[in-house]
Amino acid sequence: MHEDASQQLTLLLIILFPLAGAVVNGLFGRRLPRSLVGFIGVGSVTVSFILAVTSFAELFALRAEDSHKAALIYQFYEWFSLKLPNGAEVPINVRFLMDSLSGVMTLIVTGVGGLIHLYSVGYMSEDDGYPRFFSYLNLFMASMLILVLGSSLPVMFVGWEGVGLCSYLLIGYWYENRDYASAGRKAFVANRVGDFGVLIGMFILVGVVGSFEFADINAAAVSGQFRPNFPVWPFGVVPSIATVACLFLFLGCTGKSAQIPLYVWLPDAMAGPTPVSALIHAATMVTAGVYLCCRLSPLFITSDVAMSVIAVTGTLTALLAATIAVAQREMKKILAYSTVSQLGFMFAAVGVGYFAAGFFHVFTHAFFKACLFLGAGSVMHAVHAHGDADIFKLGGLKKQLPTTRWTFLVSCLAIAGVPLTSGFFSKDEILLGATAQIFRSDDRLMVAVGWFTLIGLTLAAVMTAFYMFRLYFLTFTGEYRSAGESGGGHGYDPHPHESPASMKIPLIFLGLGAIFAGYLGMPHIVPVIGSHLPSWWGEWMEASVTGHAHPESMKIINIASGLALAAMAIGIGSAWVLYRNKSKDVLAEKVPARLYALVFDKWRVDELYDAIIIGPIKQVATLVGRTDMTFVDALLTRLPSFNARELGRFLSRLQNGVVQTYGMVLVIGVVSVMAMFWTPRAHLEGAVEGGTLQLVAAPGLGYEYRWDADSDGEFEGGWSANRIHSPTYGLEDVREVILYVRSPRTGASHHYALTEQWTALDLDRLDTGWRRIRSSLPIVARLSDGKVQLRLNGAQVFGKTDTPEIIELTMGRGTGIENVLMVPRAKVEATVEVRNAFGNVSTASREMTLPDGYLPERHALFLDATKGVSR
Amino acid sequence: MGISAYLALASVLFGIGAVGFLTRRNMLIQLMSIELMLNSVNVLLLAFNRAYPGNHDGQAFAFFVIAVAAAEAAVGLAIVIAYFRVRQTIETDRATLLKY
Repeated sequence: MHEDASQQLTLLLIILFPLAGAVVNGLFGRRLPRSLVGFIGVGSVTVSFILAVTSFAELFALRAEDSHKAALIYQFYEWFSLKLPNGAEVPINVRFLMDSLSGVMTLIVTGVGGLIHLYSVGYMSEDDGYPRFFSYLNLFMASMLILVLGSSLPVMFVGWEGVGLCSYLLIGYWYENRDYASAGRKAFVANRVGDFGVLIGMFILVGVVGSFEFADINAAAVSGQFRPNFPVWPFGVVPSIATVACLFLFLGCTGKSAQIPLYVWLPDAMAGPTPVSALIHAATMVTAGVYLCCRLSPLFITSDVAMSVIAVTGTLTALLAATIAVAQREMKKILAYSTVSQLGFMFAAVGVGYFAAGFFHVFTHAFFKACLFLGAGSVMHAVHAHGDADIFKLGGLKKQLPTTRWTFLVSCLAIAGVPLTSGFFSKDEILLGATAQIFRSDDRLMVAVGWFTLIGLTLAAVMTAFYMFRLYFLTFTGEYRSAGESGGGHGYDPHPHESPASMKIPLIFLGLGAIFAGYLGMPHIVPVIGSHLPSWWGEWMEASVTGHAHPESMKIINIASGLALAAMAIGIGSAWVLYRNKSKDVLAEKVPARLYALVFDKWRVDELYDAIIIGPIKQVATLVGRTDMTFVDALLTRLPSFNARELGRFLSRLQNGVVQTYGMVLVIGVVSVMAMFWTPRAHLEGAVEGGTLQLVAAPGLGYEYRWDADSDGEFEGGWSANRIHSPTYGLEDVREVILYVRSPRTGASHHYALTEQWTALDLDRLDTGWRRIRSSLPIVARLSDGKVQLRLNGAQVFGKTDTPEIIELTMGRGTGIENVLMVPRAKVEATVEVRNAFGNVSTASREMTLPDGYLPERHALFLDATKGVSR
Repeated sequence: MGISAYLALASVLFGIGAVGFLTRRNMLIQLMSIELMLNSVNVLLLAFNRAYPGNHDGQAFAFFVIAVAAAEAAVGLAIVIAYFRVRQTIETDRATLLKY
């Protein structure tokens, strides 16, 4: 549907500028002056931001004149194509799309990202890895923009993995510290678990729709293609395809956006430099999960089950993280758990079907949380805290750090939801969504989810206001508690100083955003008064994001706003009472010590994961590692190498360097070779070649042969070099007659040498189908007057009474008697004599059975010849 | 008597040469042993040439062998002298640098 739109090269350039910055800084940064590195880092993102603004303006104009489907497209190239099992070809295009959703997200990413880049110039100025840092940061920007602008799941997934990689690189930026490096690993592993979910979800979607494009998937969702039951489901109630796909995608979101159960990496991610925490782990990357849900909102909204799971997970995460944040002592830790909690709010909004509200919270949160993190960074910079800052060692910083203090306060007000700040509008919308669900739905489950979400989020909002102002009061009010420190060691600088301009400017911009960004999404209907306001955000988002309609009922609107205001007031009020101008953790003294310790230890979730998941995996790994060491390394690697080495050591003794020894070996060799060739080697084979019998003697250098085909001691000819001999056998040549007996049913066979005496044939075990009726004497056979006679000695074929006592058999011809095949066969013996160049002679003989039918026409003569045979 | 006496002589000479080469440690004696083996071959060549006198291949080859033997003696003696200068001995079992 977008094919006729003209190519928007700008979209590609938005991504390419940060990418180029990453490449230049990454490859050449160490040789460039610092100022240039910083300029490239900040400049590339700034250009990207300007381009994003122009694109957005274009989009805006397009929207104004045309339909709701306005979007900018840039089709780069076809990456590859996929063949589905049903034979359909699915092209995977590297195509970028800017619509109302991704447009806003692009502005957030480049705008906030640009400010944080600027901040980093000051913050990281004394770090050795300056170019590396900017290279990673720019690479992150490029990845995030691919994630946001990608028009299909695979392209988005490239960005999704890219930001995961950059997150890993930046968390472990100070990789010399083992804890930081392992925090990076933890983030990466937790994200991998989620990525697996995204991949599975992606495959389910493409299996149903046959396209990876978001637009096609959403269209399919609207037309109900995901309504049918999931085809493979082993137990219980069968969910719809939409439910399964959404839950898998949501698993990915829990990883990337730090929700239960995969949120544990985000607090540890604060090991990275503070700008990283602000950019990646608060403002942009962690909101990718919410972005994905909004992107696929028509799909998500078709599954009540998935939506409920998202709402409950979001609410639980918001609550859990908020309780943890209440007890923490360090600035970035508190902010990290606050981020997890706020992400929970966003997912709760998504879960109750208020996608636009959830995304609005992404938007406002980006400003105030980035501002808070940068403010924390500014404080840490001021007191020379490395890693994190303990708020109980700070205090009273409002005098020394006025800019930081005011922007921090504004952001605290916003996140607490004080009226007319941005957080107020977005949080209000989320609570409104939860309330609306209670009244909208008839389904008991959905109503229960609505109640749970509303109550949980209200409690979380109370705690949010409380812990943010606990943080604010302890940091900026009262007395500075490290003033007496000597300055060195673990203490903080006794004389804090305000940060440089490059750090203050972003703070001011973000602080302004924290206040005013919310006015884009003012509620459609003002509570209590009931007058209508223009809600620009809702209308703008309508084009890309679906969701439930806003309620018109004043009751619902008033409940939501009332709860939001009450939560904010209670939270800030109690923080004011408990922590204003205080220096101790008053709350810790008022709650049971064990409960406080439990919350301070983050509910020991990490320990739980260690015990039930990581521990067993480590044990298995240890076991496998030991197996590797004892079996693979020792038995398969070291033992053979030991053998080879020792053998080599032994054999190398032979190389003693004495020339006589070598001469001796040479003489022994020559003599051995001569001895080997002294006598000829005789070997004889018989083969049937085209109906005639051939005798073949083994070849040798200078060999001559002479033949005695019937082994009667007289050679048929003289010496010749011909090693193949084709004699003609007559009955007079027969040495021995054997009786070949075979049971076709069992496949067992025997042969017996026959003489003129009766020879017992042990035939009973051949399953002959015969039975004895008169005696237990064996069946016997002999050569008699040139015939092969079989005497049954009282055996009878089953069901017959007239089996003759003596049966005569024909030479070389099979005779079947009930279950048994009997063939008399003649044997001859051939001899060859071999002579070599030394004149030495050796002999070889071979017994051969004449092939069946070799003597057919001479059968009659056999009568006379047998006497000569059985000698 | 015929050719067999020559063959016996050549075999005995070759055997003495081979055993001498293998058992003696003195390089000069070893060179002499080699000469002995070469000359046993010369005896054979001449004996066969006399027994089958169609051409003079045997005699011609005997000259070649003599020439080669002379060259070998020259090179061999040079090696012996060089070795003596290094080791102050011409015992071959002391020349084991190439072992292992």
